Amino acid sequence: MDPSEVEFVAEKEMVTIIPNFSLDKIYLIGLLLFHRCCIKWVHRMGDLGPFNPGLPVNVPVWLALNLKQRQKCRIVPPEWMDVEKLEEIREQERKEDMFTPMPSSHYMELTKLLLNHASDNIPRADEIRTLVKDIWDTRVAKLRLSADSFISQQEAHAKLDNLTLMEINTSRMFLLDSLDCMYKLRTNLLSRGGAPKGHDY
Amino acid sequence: MPAERKALRYGHSEGHTDVCFDDTGRYIVTCGSDGDVRIWEGLDDDDPKSINVGERAYSVALKNGKLVTAVSNNTVQLHTFPEGDPDGILTRFTTNANHVTFNGDGSRVAAGSSDFMVKIVEVSDSSQQKTLRGHQAPILSVAFDPKDEFLGSSSCDGSVAVWKIDDQVQVVSWNVLQKSSDVSNAKSLCRLAWQPGFGKLLAVPADKSVQLYERNSWNNVSRLSDDFIAQPVNVVAWSPCGKFLAAATIGGFIVVWDVDTKQCIERQKHEKGYTVCGLSWHPSGGQIVYTDTEGCLGLLDGVAASSPQHGSKNNEVVNKAMGNYDDLFDEDDDGHLAEDLSENGLAANTVTGGGNEDDEDDDLMPSTGRPRNRGAFLDDDDDTSVDAGSVKYENDGRVGTPLPSVPCPAVSQPRYEGPMPTPPQKPFQPGSTPVHLMHRFLVWNSVGIVRGYNDEQDNAVDVEFHDTSVHHAMHLTNTLGHTMADMSQEAVLLACEGTDELASKIQCLHFSSWDTNKEWMVDLPKEENAKALCLGQGWAAVATSALLVRIFSIGGLQREIFSLPGPAVCMAGHGQQLLIAYHRGTGFDGEQALGVQLLQFGQKKRQVIHGEPLPLSQKSYLSWMGFSAEGTPCFVDSEGTVRMLNRSLGNTWTPVCSTRESCKGTSDHYWVVGVHENPQQLRCIPCKGSRFPPTLPRPAVAILPFKLPFCQTATEKGHMEEQYWRSLLFQNHLDFLSSSGYEIDEEARSKGQKEQQELLMKMFALSCKLERELRCMELAELMTHSVVTLAIRYATRSHRMALAQRLGELALEKATAQHEEDHEDDEEQSELPSTRQMSGMTPSSRKPLSLGISGGKQSKEPALKPLVPRPKSKVTQGIIMVAQVCFLRYNTVGYRGNSLHLSVPFSSRPKTGFQLWLEENRKRILADKPDLDETDIIKEAMSLFRALSAEDRLVGVHTACQWVSLCVFEVLYCKFAFSVDLGCEQNVKWGTRLCSTAALVLCPKGCWLSPSPLFHCRKP
Repeated sequence: MDPSEVEFVAEKEMVTIIPNFSLDKIYLIGLLLFHRCCIKWVHRMGDLGPFNPGLPVNVPVWLALNLKQRQKCRIVPPEWMDVEKLEEIREQERKEDMFTPMPSSHYMELTKLLLNHASDNIPRADEIRTLVKDIWDTRVAKLRLSADSFISQQEAHAKLDNLTLMEINTSRMFLLDSLDCMYKLRTNLLSRGGAPKGHDY
Repeated sequence: MPAERKALRYGHSEGHTDVCFDDTGRYIVTCGSDGDVRIWEGLDDDDPKSINVGERAYSVALKNGKLVTAVSNNTVQLHTFPEGDPDGILTRFTTNANHVTFNGDGSRVAAGSSDFMVKIVEVSDSSQQKTLRGHQAPILSVAFDPKDEFLGSSSCDGSVAVWKIDDQVQVVSWNVLQKSSDVSNAKSLCRLAWQPGFGKLLAVPADKSVQLYERNSWNNVSRLSDDFIAQPVNVVAWSPCGKFLAAATIGGFIVVWDVDTKQCIERQKHEKGYTVCGLSWHPSGGQIVYTDTEGCLGLLDGVAASSPQHGSKNNEVVNKAMGNYDDLFDEDDDGHLAEDLSENGLAANTVTGGGNEDDEDDDLMPSTGRPRNRGAFLDDDDDTSVDAGSVKYENDGRVGTPLPSVPCPAVSQPRYEGPMPTPPQKPFQPGSTPVHLMHRFLVWNSVGIVRGYNDEQDNAVDVEFHDTSVHHAMHLTNTLGHTMADMSQEAVLLACEGTDELASKIQCLHFSSWDTNKEWMVDLPKEENAKALCLGQGWAAVATSALLVRIFSIGGLQREIFSLPGPAVCMAGHGQQLLIAYHRGTGFDGEQALGVQLLQFGQKKRQVIHGEPLPLSQKSYLSWMGFSAEGTPCFVDSEGTVRMLNRSLGNTWTPVCSTRESCKGTSDHYWVVGVHENPQQLRCIPCKGSRFPPTLPRPAVAILPFKLPFCQTATEKGHMEEQYWRSLLFQNHLDFLSSSGYEIDEEARSKGQKEQQELLMKMFALSCKLERELRCMELAELMTHSVVTLAIRYATRSHRMALAQRLGELALEKATAQHEEDHEDDEEQSELPSTRQMSGMTPSSRKPLSLGISGGKQSKEPALKPLVPRPKSKVTQGIIMVAQVCFLRYNTVGYRGNSLHLSVPFSSRPKTGFQLWLEENRKRILADKPDLDETDIIKEAMSLFRALSAEDRLVGVHTACQWVSLCVFEVLYCKFAFSVDLGCEQNVKWGTRLCSTAALVLCPKGCWLSPSPLFHCRKP
């Protein structure tokens, strides 16, 4: 999956908005199926609304952004999208060798989407952007490091917890391709009869 | 009487804290490990003044407007009070000081440091220092002798020493403490305290007790302890009178002893069990503030207020009275009460509850004694330099030291001891935050938000609508300085109070107007200020300081004007209703005496509530008032209780929600912005640690459910009762709306009714299970007729025949009552014959037993409606008869028996289509099935008749003319089918009623009658 697809998946996440219009409940199941059948069979949103002006309501991100672009709502940033909380997460992420659980499985995508489209509704948007980027960098560095040690130690399998979809997708293509490549090289060596040595790539 | 423990407040971040009162007792000063000193105007101060003094503050002392702090940069600093400006450094140590204290007159400061030294510094000249060396470990605490002769100090080396200040020598030392290496490891802070006055006793906390050492002899004269104390004592503090000693311990026990009797008069436990590390008495006694190691600030009120008296009783009264004033100030500080009262802190002013009520003052005290009396009063409070002297002497007298020559001014004066008047709360706009804030909400209601900014750059008002389709947002420069606002779907109303030059103005932006001029402004007469305002539909109302309510049309026409019985507190408008809260009189002991008026404009103008008292919670004030979206008046008091007008119970107020219950912390509140009855929603903004939200970050609205304060709502019964009555209460608006000519949502009504009836049935079933038959009957009385029949079924099924019998009678009454109403409608609407004959159509069927159906009344007087329902109408009797007969059959046959079929006529003269058809076809049926008896024939006929097409039947119906019902009772598991065969057109209405009263019953087993044939019949 390329990043835009992952972002598309992330758009199903729910976010709170404060609408400035009034609308009865809308029933989006059909619409959602139509939209998303290619990705996932059913993501049961159920019913959205009712929308009361001034009252918070939960809607999927794609709808929130659409409404926001039409200036029909204000987006309430998710609870974790807060400078103090993110700083804490960043420190935790830096301190630990393992991946720490993220507040949202689409933290990167949501940050990007919300900050790009609704930065006026999010206090200290710039700091949040930097913090999330820091967290992302830390995690991707960890991912590279673990891939490196995975290969250098010639492990057959490895387990990585708490990775988000976007992170997996950034390394998947390259990692799989290079593993394939290495496998070919190695089998070539074997077929020539030369026993593989420690670091043969 | 135990002291009242006020709710804890978050004061500082976690860590060591210290607390003291200022000389007047008006301010509480705290310091904490966050390096801040906070000045609180009473415990309820939501916006304490913060002074940053360093990275960490260890100890604070305050006297004569000088604030001394021991901070982490190893210095003892001086700040001015209450401004908080730095005033120099008093002294330095090689490491941080742990405790600082003033001497009696505030001329010297003593500080004990972790570098084992104690220094005594002159405040006026910090070069004059005396250093006391001799302790072998960090100093824990220092204490000045009130006569300035000695100084006590405690140290981590386990010793408590007394020093002669002038000679800088140790007079005596006791090893009573546990040794430790550092303050942080010390078990107890061991704060020493000298008895005020003559310093006769030195109190030393030693483990779980307090040792008292006598001056000069330095003997341990007594030991105060209590079983309540489970952990070492941390801090001790003498009451200003020297009679009581308070001690607080690790683990949060606070104990007060009467030193003379050694009796423990007060035991309190910290509500969270944190270690108390700061303790201070109010300068007039009566209150103790304390802080703990988690940074919380607490207060005990009424300490030693009613303890046994030994000395002069009058003094105690002073203390008690002072405590009360502080209460007043506390509330005042909340920013909701009259400001002028707190401005100068004059006790005398508060006694009378307002400057203009001096007459009352005269009544309370003999006029000759008054000036002197007042002077004496003020001694304690205002004149700080005299404070120590005069109070101390009196106090000494109490402790027992003979002091005959000391004048005691307060003792001989008579004093008012009764309840104290409450300062009246200031007028406010519902949904606004306090006026003194720079950024505030002028109003937040269900339509939108008006925010006011008043800082250096800008004085502006932002108007924003929740629903942008109402109007786009507006930004107005606030040149007039508007402080009040209201908004509706049609207009924004703003008002400012008058100044010396300018009159009070009202500005209205009626953006919904169709002409081009969308704004008007009105000047109030001179000396008249707008105090509260509101908008309704097509009108605006302003309450003024001249006790007038002025009504304007939305276009700016002046309309009605009327006087209020008292100063307005707030107003709310909705549609054609105006709700006004005003001061009905003076409240006492923290209560507000508010009255409420509800006026109705529109076609028939009238006053609905005539200035009745507004039922606030105890010692609370009004914090929000308004209408639900559906138009029912509601209000919220400062205790967070939401009350709603119950129009069906003589306009009483029912508490529908307690927002306090939903709060997590004790100082959290919910700020109500709207009430909705359908769906049931209380819209409010959660505020952490304050009563109102800040404008930024933009607060989010939360929804709270309603809950009537019923007993035992945890049980199924209580829960359902609550649901039932809540559902009923929140339906009231429908009646009101329909009575005032609005369209109402019939669907919502029927849904609500269905819910209520279902709840009743559930409760009925529950009571049945619990064998509470009387309760069952009580429930049945609340049910509609149709549900009563269901209840009858339930009762018979659970073999409660007595109950079922009674229910049957009840059903009869209900049906009669209902019919009577219906009948009256009929009289009005149609020319139906008022008498109807009735007789049995099928005489062979079961005789209706014991029912007075024979003698039908020939005429009736619609004007006289009997109070007790009695069988009047034949029609209903018929219905009931059927029900009764069915019921009796039921009992005899058993509910699981085969289907029972009864058909009962209501009228013989006019016959139904079915009857006609039956007469025609009886023979044919008999021929087909000769072995049938009468009822079976009818049954058979019925099914055949039903099989006919609607058209065929209609023919029958029309020929039959008039009306009649026929019913068959079908015994199916717990379900009824209703059906009524209708006669001619003019009686269609009757048929529907019969249906709805649900008497009847039709169809053979397994064949449910769908409603459609009925409707066919109904349609002409």
